[in-house]
Amino acid sequence: MKLFRVLVFAVVALAQMAVPAWAVWMRTQTLAKGKIWKFRTAPVDPVDAVRGRYVALAFAAEKVPQAERLPPASVAYAFLKEGSTGFAEIDHLSTTAATGNNVMKVEPGAWWDGSQHIDFPFDRFWLTEKVAPEADRAYASSSREEKENAYVTVRVHDGDAALEQLYIDGQPLMEYLRSHPPH
Amino acid sequence: MALSVNHRAIRWLRAQLPELVAGGVISSDSAGAIDRHYQASEARATSFGFVILAVIGSALMGAGIILLIAHNWDELSRPTRCLLAFLPLVLAQLLGFFVLLRRNDSPAWRESAAIFDVAAIAIAISLVSQTYQIQGSFTDFMRIWLLLGIPIIYLFRTNFGALAYIIGSAVWMLSKGNWSFNRPGEMFFWLLLLLVVPFYVKVVRQSSSVWAFRVLSIALIAVSAVGLGVTIEFTRSDLGGVAFAGFFAVIYLSGMIWQGGAKESLNVLSVMGGLGVAITAVALSFEALWHLHPSWESPSLEQAAGIGIALCFPIAAVALSAWSWVRRTIPFSISAASIPVVAGIARLVAGAASPAARPFDNPYAFAAAVLFNLYALVLGIEFLMRGIKAGSMARANFGLLVIAALALARFFDSDLSFVARGVGFIAVGAGFLIANVIFFRKRIHA
Repeated sequence: MKLFRVLVFAVVALAQMAVPAWAVWMRTQTLAKGKIWKFRTAPVDPVDAVRGRYVALAFAAEKVPQAERLPPASVAYAFLKEGSTGFAEIDHLSTTAATGNNVMKVEPGAWWDGSQHIDFPFDRFWLTEKVAPEADRAYASSSREEKENAYVTVRVHDGDAALEQLYIDGQPLMEYLRSHPPH
Repeated sequence: MALSVNHRAIRWLRAQLPELVAGGVISSDSAGAIDRHYQASEARATSFGFVILAVIGSALMGAGIILLIAHNWDELSRPTRCLLAFLPLVLAQLLGFFVLLRRNDSPAWRESAAIFDVAAIAIAISLVSQTYQIQGSFTDFMRIWLLLGIPIIYLFRTNFGALAYIIGSAVWMLSKGNWSFNRPGEMFFWLLLLLVVPFYVKVVRQSSSVWAFRVLSIALIAVSAVGLGVTIEFTRSDLGGVAFAGFFAVIYLSGMIWQGGAKESLNVLSVMGGLGVAITAVALSFEALWHLHPSWESPSLEQAAGIGIALCFPIAAVALSAWSWVRRTIPFSISAASIPVVAGIARLVAGAASPAARPFDNPYAFAAAVLFNLYALVLGIEFLMRGIKAGSMARANFGLLVIAALALARFFDSDLSFVARGVGFIAVGAGFLIANVIFFRKRIHA
């Protein structure tokens, strides 16, 4: 009985390790092999963006104009295309499974005013504790209505989307913070 | 019943033994025998205290490790952070192997190792997620965490782990749920909860740990009730009354049948079930609860499954009653046991109204409510009688309370004059006083 317990625990321990390890493996694969897409961030309420150790992200592309709401499902697949400005747009949504470097899994939300609302699989950009408050200020001031110049790069590989970098004024966040020290 | 052991009374009795021997009330042999008899249960109580301290200790140690890692977090490279994220998990697993091999008989070691391991899984997943910008919803995180944690409950036989798991499955369901529209997958909650049931049954059978039985029962009942509420909302089927009546009847019947016969103190299942039956009965006496809101869409497969789950409870309750009836031992209140049937009849009556009239006041909804008013009155009276018969003041008063709650409910939702309400209140109050006076006299004379 004792040996049996130990053996079962060994299997369980492997599974416990495998879950985070698999996530790391998938992410490194997607970051290495995925196609880069640029998503413009939507204006955010500066107060709402302050969330401790991460920047809360919102995207204009999370609102997809379409005549009918998606049939109820827990996941939907967003087909991406590059718009004229170089930023990614949603070509169309589907509830049938698909993979590829232009397909991203999204969470369907409500439908109103001729638009299907969806949630991207990333809504926060994690930061280290020291830079979080500064980054938050920079992102909030760059994402207001009058000055929309923040975007993120996302790598998409076989339907898996990995958030890569947050850009402000065309610079990666850390570089931007270095060149714009707080006054 | 073996489950209800009063440790304070035991300690008092053991302290009294030398005095009793000195006073010549009992012989020193008898005193020794009594002392030995109660020593075992005292040892169990001490070990419970130790378990709690050990659990708190291991939780603090886990938190300390996280703080140490977090302190230098900003300076570390991504791969180093990733390795460090796994460190608490590796330590927890090594401790787990040690405990299974060498300290398997100590509840304190098992509980601590299990808590440490489950916390380490959460730490590893969340630190890796932050480091690599991996984002799933909180709901997905909870589900993975629960599924990785469930084997630990069985391997380490941990009551704290089971409690955390039960609460965790409710957190998962509430984070999954959305009040405005249905999200598929909500019914997975029942599968999650079902995974812990064999452990709970084992705790019930080994009646050695009273606190574990009580705490896990209360948690399981509360979480299932929340789950049933969400399920009913999810199915949009107007089966809430029948489902809740069946749910609490099953708990009440299981408690009473397991306990076997009328005793002065009831086990936690009987108490919670009886309370639930009474609350459901009074709630269903309001006409508004029989306003039905027919859904125009045909149910999805998952909604149909939800309806099936909701109906399992009344069916199980009726089956339990029937089984007792066949065995000719009926240790429970017959009116409490019949609540699912009454609710079923009332639902059929309310459903007989024309679809257009169902969401509003209509004669059928009124008839269903009247049925439940009568039922709640009978239930209160039977609880009162059974309480008196069992010589339990608390249970007799509970029966009166049901009647009083019913009276109160009717005073508030009917158009009675102030004088009539006043007289009604006085009558209910007088009922309480008279019943208790009679009860006291009976006890004194007995």
